[in-house]
Amino acid sequence: MDDYTLEASKEAPSRRRFLVITGWTSFGAFLAGTGAAFARFFYPGVLYEPQTTFNAGKPDDFVAPAHEGEVVVDERFKKNQRVWIVRGSDGIYVMVAVCTHLGCTPNWFPGEQRFKCPCHGTNYNTQGEVISGPAPLPFYRAKIKTAPDGSMIVTTGLLGIKRAALQYVKKEMIPTFTKEEQADLSQPPFFLPHTA
Amino acid sequence: MADNEHGHPNGAKKGLLWSLYQLISNNFIFQSVFRTGYPDTMLKRMAVMRSSFMMHILPTKVGIHGLKLYYTWCMGGITFFLFLALTLTGVILMFYYVPEEHRAYQDMKDLYFMVPYGRILRNMHRWAAHGMVFTVIVHMIRVFYTGSYKAPRQLNWVVGVLLLKITLLLSFTGYLLPWDQLGFWAVTVGTNMASATPLIGYEGPFSDLLGIQVNNDIRFALLGGTRVGANALIRAYVWHCVALPLLASGMMIFHFWRIRKDGFSGPL
Repeated sequence: MDDYTLEASKEAPSRRRFLVITGWTSFGAFLAGTGAAFARFFYPGVLYEPQTTFNAGKPDDFVAPAHEGEVVVDERFKKNQRVWIVRGSDGIYVMVAVCTHLGCTPNWFPGEQRFKCPCHGTNYNTQGEVISGPAPLPFYRAKIKTAPDGSMIVTTGLLGIKRAALQYVKKEMIPTFTKEEQADLSQPPFFLPHTA
Repeated sequence: MADNEHGHPNGAKKGLLWSLYQLISNNFIFQSVFRTGYPDTMLKRMAVMRSSFMMHILPTKVGIHGLKLYYTWCMGGITFFLFLALTLTGVILMFYYVPEEHRAYQDMKDLYFMVPYGRILRNMHRWAAHGMVFTVIVHMIRVFYTGSYKAPRQLNWVVGVLLLKITLLLSFTGYLLPWDQLGFWAVTVGTNMASATPLIGYEGPFSDLLGIQVNNDIRFALLGGTRVGANALIRAYVWHCVALPLLASGMMIFHFWRIRKDGFSGPL
């Protein structure tokens, strides 16, 4: 009789322990899975936002500047795509209309040939470089490809894909472009040479 | 009728009012609500506070210093009052406001110009919200200057700090709902700050290590997209009207319960 109880009391805790560990592990796994699913729930699979690659039309659809050294900024894609199509005297480039400070949309002032951000007052020149204000970087540039019919395919890269892949990204945190960067920006895919 | 437990203060004359009181109180219904009898002793007074749902939020006994206005400034109480006012006016505003891109701003304007008493309700909600941020900060300052955050009340200080954060988050999510220029750009700026969070924000340091991009970072979870749009509006609405108030209520219950257990802090 004594042997029997001793035997049972030796064995019983190990089974109980096994069940306790299994039970709590399953419960923990269930909670972790539910938590992960809850977090994943906040990242939808489909977004109803504008395409990041779009046909901006032919280069001649955009007005050339009247004076040397000035640019004409076209705002027809500003609302939906948040880009400006800028035509200078020797070609076209596309700037992303997002202030690099905190993401507001700056306004273009043709008379002063400047962009100004309404939120915290950063001023940008026609190249998108910061003249004054808190913004740490110039505007991002979008890529331009030419379709067989001559129209411009602009990739803004605002959605889904890291900026580095589709836009021009500076190596240093300075509000103007270096000589090398200016050289990069004056050729495709960030610049489309075009004269009237 | 024999005199019941709800007795009269000793020695008083039993007149007409006394008979009326007996008539009202000497039955099961009255005694099931008011259980302790006439509070003519200290014990019964304390029993009233303990057994009443409405009163149990108050302590059974409080030091005279804790009642002095210059000690508490009533700021915690005013904050709670404003929270109740905000809950009430907020629920009423929800009858008209629809958090949808094309309707939100119009509904807000309708509340202002077309709905009877809509303007005062919206303004009550707005000013109570501003007031709550103010009073919660002043309450915190008072707690700091009277040293009430010290042991054994450290935990309640921490809960209070979390409640301050929830108050600010409620303010921030409510800012977007009118869907006007001010709120839209404030939330654009605010969520862009979130994108600079280390590791989980796509513009923050070390985010490359986790493969964080604009479409899987913390800002994306807040906005439900890569820009402030329809998804961001409904998300702000649900956080503002359901999730954050529930969280705040739960923590307030704990906050008040903790005050009851610890009592008011003594004079300096």
